[in-house]
Amino acid sequence: MKSIYTSSPFAHNNSSVQKVMLQVQLAAFPALLAHILLFGYGIIIQWFLAVATALLVEYVMLKLRDKPVLPNVTDFSALITVTGLVFCIPPESPWWVIVSGSAFALVFGKHLYGGLGYNPFNPAMLGYAFLLISFPAEMTQWTLPKEIAGYSLSFWESFNHILFGAVAHAPIDSFTGATPLSAVKTGIQEGVSAQQMLQAPYLETGWWNLTAWGWINLAFLAGGAWLIYTRTIRWQYPVGFLGALGLMAWIFHSINPDLYAPVSFHLLFGGTMLAAFFIITDPVSSSTTPLGRLIYAAGIGVLVYVIRNWGAFPDGIAFAVLLLNIAVPLIDRYTQPRVLGHNR
Amino acid sequence: MKTRGFLTQLVKTLSPLYPMAKRLLYRFHGGVFPKYNKELSLRQPLREGYIPKQLILPLQQHMGLPALPCVELGESVKKFQLIAQAAKGLSAPVHAPTSGKIIAIEPRVLPHASGLAQPCIVIEPDGLDSAITNVLAVNTPPQTPEAFKQLILNAGIVGMGGAGFPTFAKLPNQPGLVEHLVINGAECEPFITCDDMLMQTHPDEIIRGAQLVAQMFGIPHVVCAIENNKPKAIEAMRQACADSQITITEVATVYPMGGQKQLIQEVLGIEVPSGKHTIDIGIVMMNIATLRAIAHAVDKGQPLVSRFVTVSGLGLEQPYNINALLGTPFDELIALAKPKQPIDYPLIMGGPMMGVKLADNHVPVVKTSNCILANPPEPVQAPMACIRCGECADACPINLQPQQLYWHAQAHEYEQAEKLNLFDCIECGCCSFVCPSHIPLVQYYRHAKSEVREIRAQAQLTEQAKQRHEARQARIERDKQERDAKLAAKKAAVKQQAAQDTQDKKTAQPAHQTAESNREDAPKLSARERAIQMAKARQQAAKASPEQTQPAEKPAAASDDKRKAAMEAAKARAAAKKAQAELSTDQPKQESEKPELSVEDKRKAAMEAAKARAAAKKAQQETAK
Repeated sequence: MKSIYTSSPFAHNNSSVQKVMLQVQLAAFPALLAHILLFGYGIIIQWFLAVATALLVEYVMLKLRDKPVLPNVTDFSALITVTGLVFCIPPESPWWVIVSGSAFALVFGKHLYGGLGYNPFNPAMLGYAFLLISFPAEMTQWTLPKEIAGYSLSFWESFNHILFGAVAHAPIDSFTGATPLSAVKTGIQEGVSAQQMLQAPYLETGWWNLTAWGWINLAFLAGGAWLIYTRTIRWQYPVGFLGALGLMAWIFHSINPDLYAPVSFHLLFGGTMLAAFFIITDPVSSSTTPLGRLIYAAGIGVLVYVIRNWGAFPDGIAFAVLLLNIAVPLIDRYTQPRVLGHNR
Repeated sequence: MKTRGFLTQLVKTLSPLYPMAKRLLYRFHGGVFPKYNKELSLRQPLREGYIPKQLILPLQQHMGLPALPCVELGESVKKFQLIAQAAKGLSAPVHAPTSGKIIAIEPRVLPHASGLAQPCIVIEPDGLDSAITNVLAVNTPPQTPEAFKQLILNAGIVGMGGAGFPTFAKLPNQPGLVEHLVINGAECEPFITCDDMLMQTHPDEIIRGAQLVAQMFGIPHVVCAIENNKPKAIEAMRQACADSQITITEVATVYPMGGQKQLIQEVLGIEVPSGKHTIDIGIVMMNIATLRAIAHAVDKGQPLVSRFVTVSGLGLEQPYNINALLGTPFDELIALAKPKQPIDYPLIMGGPMMGVKLADNHVPVVKTSNCILANPPEPVQAPMACIRCGECADACPINLQPQQLYWHAQAHEYEQAEKLNLFDCIECGCCSFVCPSHIPLVQYYRHAKSEVREIRAQAQLTEQAKQRHEARQARIERDKQERDAKLAAKKAAVKQQAAQDTQDKKTAQPAHQTAESNREDAPKLSARERAIQMAKARQQAAKASPEQTQPAEKPAAASDDKRKAAMEAAKARAAAKKAQAELSTDQPKQESEKPELSVEDKRKAAMEAAKARAAAKKAQQETAK
């Protein structure tokens, strides 16, 4: 088998897994910046907590698995996993949420399956699903944007709140609330029309008539465009996902605008753009054939819409992704492209 | 055509912004854009007339059977003199590249990854370079395709693009069977510029060769494809074929444009069906250097004794191109290029994408050596786990799914790998080139392919053994039945004899009646049987256990008989092998209309092989007995 490494090609395009992962991390920066501007410093603290957890978990798991630590930690895949997770959780949630979530994602999502490349499920979404089911209350208390809450927490206030649960001068309810997705959902369930719900003040304010959520989604979109340009991710993922989600939203909104929110709402609220460019694009747990990627992404888009409207959770990205992860081997099998010189 | 021109322009404007837009410029899937480094070897002028101290000429520089030496040790030879004849079948002769003395006919290391030594003829040049003119005795150009092919064979011409398939075997036996002649001047491998240089310096001879082939085989469409990174070559070739039917096509610079299937797809828009040869669909592709060799053979009666070679690499001060005599050692040519540091690392024959890393640097230039590459070794990145990114699938010119092939190859699930069309892989190396995990993908496929071939061969052997075993069982059963029948016949005969004896005393008639009442042939059979059985019975009477007579007899006559039988078995086996070899390699020699065997010939050969195999089996069974 040694001869395998001494035969041609003797050239390489200098790409590497590390570069791919760092590219993704870089592309997440616009969204991170928007997040800080709009929701305060909570996310930074959460991110550092997550990275510290990841380093520890990686070290322990690699030792237990009897694998070399340095080359495996420096593939930066854990960094991407926890970064994805950090964007999903409320910025002011207590420290044990992100720590347990990151640890669960890495241990059960990655290492127990044999490490990077062998995990059938998206580790970040596995961790997020774990948190959604285990701590539903904490997961819905999202920090309100500055414009709505009237003020924002300073770095130290966030720090104290996350680590010690203490806020000097205000109860948690005064600066956190339901996310727009769950607010609209609850409203519709209570008989308020979707359009009326969207007229609510806190969904209107923001720069250029875009809400804080819209801005974060746009930031993800910008990072995602960069990823497509650098060929770090494939166009099939966002096109399939956003296309399917948008189409579903358009169809149902056209049928009954009172019951179903418009396309723009579905595309610019919740974790839509995060999922489209950073979550479902995880190559390890998604389909590898070009057509398969499109089907996989579209399947997630449809499921997200279904869960958002008729499911028990306000946003269904985690469950949609995990469900489609299961279908990947099947999709791969039936979407083999035609090989040159074979019949059409 | 207009839209294509517009697209080209658009992509060219876009490509600084988005390099991968270049993939829109050609028809086949995938492809990669490695760093070409072609300018390195184009800085120096072409070198000619270099005669080394020794010329090492392997008897096998081509696909097929090695040539057979026809010179003696110590003999003086002249330039162009035949020194090794083509073997029967798929082979090519070898000629002396310069005048000198044969100083050795012995195994020397060949330019091959294995580093194995194979028989070579070693010539010590006398420096006079005295030649025999028109050694191929061409007075008038050949008039028939057969004569043309014979001349190409006699000239020792093989595919000079890299595969080394004897050229005569590629051509049909009658005109009108080929629709397109594609001249391959793509030269898509990085570093290599020998074809570029040849097209710049000798375009007339290339075009002449192409015209000869086109006329002889009645090929209506001749097109020459050159990658657009060789503007000088394109210009020279365009001028050379200005007043001919040959068209020069600029093709995009992308690896592997020069691959046979890719270039045909690009210039003709035709996909070569999987598992078929280009000749099956009326296409012949030839490298420009091969066509030049054909022109030399037909016009001057000169055999192939030299070729253009690129000597390049990042480890050399002055890379260059040379018209090198075949047999020139690599290390001598490398020394001429002023290495930056001592060459203590392995050289590569061919380009960085598909070349062969040599086990020994003192190997000769052969008919297929297009490049000698001296790239100092770089640290190899340890492969990581596959992250299923799909870069390899995007780069694959055949549109395979390399990542899936890799999982199956790694897991030794070769059946699955074959289902994913493992054998369609052209081993271009694009997948390995782009893999961010640095997985040696194509290397895995090569390994998997050889494993599958091995498994197939094993399966065939097992099947043969099974058939042998079954035949043996059947024979034993038949013997037993015969023996039983004989025994019964003998018993009957004894009874009859007894009856006859008693009846004879009275009257002869009833005995005849009983015999005839059995069967028509019964009396004859029983009579013969009786004689045998009588003899056997006598023999048996002498021994204690009549059934084990034969094995008991063996040791006495054993050694001599066994040896004879073994020899016969070996002979039969050799015959079977020969028949098989002829079946697989003798095809061009057959007088069928196509270079491929006609169905009938194949069947005949197969039958002969089967017969020989049966004989071998029989002989073997006899030894076993």
